[in-house]
Amino acid sequence: MKLICINCPRGCELSVTETDGGISVEGHACPRGETYGRDEYSVPVRMVTGLVKVAGARRPLPVKTRQPVPKGKIYEITNLLANTTVLPPKSIGDVIIDNVCGTGVDIVATANYS
Amino acid sequence: MGKGENDVIVIGAGVVGAMVARELSRYDLKVLVLEAGSDVAEGASKANSAIVHAGFDAKPGTSKAKFNVWGNRLFENVCKELNVPFKRNGSLVLAFGAEDEKSLADLKARAETNGVPVEIIGKDELKRREPNVSDLATAALWAPTGGICCPYELSFRACENAAANGVEFAFDAKVTAIGPGWTVKCEDGREFSAKAVVNCAGCRSDELNNLVSSVKYSIEARRGEYLMLDRDEEHSFSATMFQVPGPMGKGILISPTVDGTVIVGPTAEDIDDKDDKATTYLGLEKVKEGALRTWPKLPLNKVITEFSGLRAHETTVGDFILGEAPDAPGFFNALGVESPGLTSAPAIGLWLAERVAEKLGRDRKPATEISHDVSSWPVTREMSKRDLAELIKREPSFGRVICRCEEITEGEIRAAIRARVGARTLDGIKRRTRSGMGRCQGGFCTPKLIEILGEELGLPPQAFLASRKKAPKALVTRAAASDADAVYDVTVIGAGPAGLAAACAAREAGAERVLVIERDDAPGGILQQCIHNGFGLHRFKEELTGPEYAQRFVDKAEEAGVQVRCGTMVVEIVPAKDGERLSTVTTMSRRYGLEELKTKSVVLAMGCRERPRGALMTPGTRPAGVYTAGTVQRLVNMDGIMPGKRVVILGSGDIGLIMARRLTFQGAKVLACVEIMQKSSGLMRNVVQCLNDFDIPLLLRHTVIDVEGREHVTGVKVAKVDEDLKPIPGTEIHFDCDTLLLSCGLIPENELSKGAGVEMDPKTRGPKVDADMATSVPGIFAGGNVVRVYDLVDWVSRDSEIAGRSAAEYAKGISA
Repeated sequence: MKLICINCPRGCELSVTETDGGISVEGHACPRGETYGRDEYSVPVRMVTGLVKVAGARRPLPVKTRQPVPKGKIYEITNLLANTTVLPPKSIGDVIIDNVCGTGVDIVATANYS
Repeated sequence: MGKGENDVIVIGAGVVGAMVARELSRYDLKVLVLEAGSDVAEGASKANSAIVHAGFDAKPGTSKAKFNVWGNRLFENVCKELNVPFKRNGSLVLAFGAEDEKSLADLKARAETNGVPVEIIGKDELKRREPNVSDLATAALWAPTGGICCPYELSFRACENAAANGVEFAFDAKVTAIGPGWTVKCEDGREFSAKAVVNCAGCRSDELNNLVSSVKYSIEARRGEYLMLDRDEEHSFSATMFQVPGPMGKGILISPTVDGTVIVGPTAEDIDDKDDKATTYLGLEKVKEGALRTWPKLPLNKVITEFSGLRAHETTVGDFILGEAPDAPGFFNALGVESPGLTSAPAIGLWLAERVAEKLGRDRKPATEISHDVSSWPVTREMSKRDLAELIKREPSFGRVICRCEEITEGEIRAAIRARVGARTLDGIKRRTRSGMGRCQGGFCTPKLIEILGEELGLPPQAFLASRKKAPKALVTRAAASDADAVYDVTVIGAGPAGLAAACAAREAGAERVLVIERDDAPGGILQQCIHNGFGLHRFKEELTGPEYAQRFVDKAEEAGVQVRCGTMVVEIVPAKDGERLSTVTTMSRRYGLEELKTKSVVLAMGCRERPRGALMTPGTRPAGVYTAGTVQRLVNMDGIMPGKRVVILGSGDIGLIMARRLTFQGAKVLACVEIMQKSSGLMRNVVQCLNDFDIPLLLRHTVIDVEGREHVTGVKVAKVDEDLKPIPGTEIHFDCDTLLLSCGLIPENELSKGAGVEMDPKTRGPKVDADMATSVPGIFAGGNVVRVYDLVDWVSRDSEIAGRSAAEYAKGISA
């Protein structure tokens, strides 16, 4: 499988193959690339960033998944975020939704909001 | 505010320091006030009984007696001059039985020696005047000259008037050392000198005196706890109700206040910690117990707050210590000024200023040169309906009520911040306007207050939540009286990552006064709207979103003591001409209007803007629905507005790609991303994670040849292009869409740079810079996207730090 690593602007072209001992990744320039290749081959994951509504305010609160989540869960998560309203104030790192859509990953605030 | 310019330094901006400074300002003297707290009246002056004592109680022959009686006489006039409330409501000292009545007789004798008019009234007369008083009270001493005032308002206005007459103020300036001559050093390293020093440091005045004089004093902090009752009880008593005094003070009193509330207290307890203003269970019990003696029906359910204050009680002499220290010429004390200190303050100010002026051989200014301005603003709750309606028409902010309990408007709050010695904290606003002092005690208005503070002072609102009384660090380096007179070492234009990084680096490289000017309402620049992740891998070794990355620099700038002024647009930079030392930066803002700032060096960090549609020469109608990608990014991510549902993106710059994913997440359908070149102009990783992940087609070697729709976009026509980028007939594809996003490149924003005469590089469209990020104009440096469009914010901050350091070095080479 041919892939382009999304970790940094370098965008390494990776080649991922299944071997007897497991999965082999070639073409990466750093360890993050190798991890990406392996994950992308078995369970592709992505960071999800998004917005939730803030009660009584027009400006939304930006949020993210604290860790990458399986790609297949993205729409489920963005739909949930679209229907989420929080109360201010919020600070960077505050948990907005814990264990989002059963991924074991929390949604956290990425901006201070007063 | 530099070294060696002052004639007099007043230490302490309590009511005594304020009165001394105001009186000194009437002489031909340059005066600086140093205050350890972040505001005027932070010590005893903000928490006391607010009583203007008649003077019957002080021991005849003492300074307390002399200044009390003199101060009481001056008070009415001083309050009139300063436009602060004062009421001679009279004082009553209650006797409960024969023994107390004997004490009343002693007090009466004392009063007569002190020259204070009093009379003793019987039970019936007392009950007639004060129906709520206890039936157990048998007689009372009536002192008609007793009064009530607002001690902190008195202090504020005295300082405003002092500032109007040229006195400067430095806050958060805790004095830790005093050297002969006199040199005054602060805890944070600031150093000042003056020919004379006046010690009005309240509970710490003994420590300062003992640094310079062999005549040692010792001050004990005597804590007093109070209760405050709601305005509903305004008419419970008309006079100030005392009980017969004891050795520790005048006992528990009950008094109306000039604000209409009722004050009850204080206790008197000597404590070790000169900062301990906590209230205690036992203390408040004592207040209640004492008050119930005077007022058996004391309505405890009407208590709105409780607080405590500290009196500076001198233990060796037990009197005010006023005047020049015998063995330290030019060092004057106002030491041990406990009750009746507030009453005495106007007289102490008058007397001490005269002594200081005499010592330095200075005359009074001619009366025509003395300003009577006290920075007054309209108090809406005291205005007639007609006047108020007119005011609101003129100034709509006086029509927006922020504090509903006390009915304080936005206009009043902004005026309190903009005053010469303006509020910089929540407490500062509260004491200047009463906002937050009413029934809800700030429950409703706090969020609005921090927003206004943030706007006015150019900081994020949450900076004002760290402390109610301590000003945010970023404000500490701010100029004392007027920013306009200040000279900055480094002025940075733009508070995005480039500007903030440059400013922090400049501070680290030793530049003292670093100012960042930002046109938006908050610092952070374009990163605020870049809510996606992928920033900071190189710098922070982790992947952050834009707002998180920005916040790290905002925090860093605050810690570094960088001033950030938001909501302010730079309209012109005029570099220093030959023979001049300083460049001029002209700014425009709601707060300051048009202003010219002087600076030793400038860092350009204005960033870049997007290429608009006109620059692309796309044919078709000019309907609504065509946006640059960054505009939509702001609309969606910051304003919560989705501009459309079916979207085509022209150009494959990174912002366009990022917005393809964002709009998909927000429920829109992105039909295609159209790129005229052979490959995407954005990063491959963004093509993968923003287009491929969502099966959005990337049409390479295609362009938009027609935009359809009269009022609003209804569709676009896309065609393939040949080698010469000309559309190939017959290859047209039609998309039904309501939005066209343009992501066709960024242009460094250099109108200011060009105006300043900076030489430009036609290729990068930014200023030509050398390895130190210096432009062709001496003293002007540049960093970030204003120089060239970067791929990565980490390189923006790295190169801007070079610009900041270079600017700091340049500023060092310019004499102060």
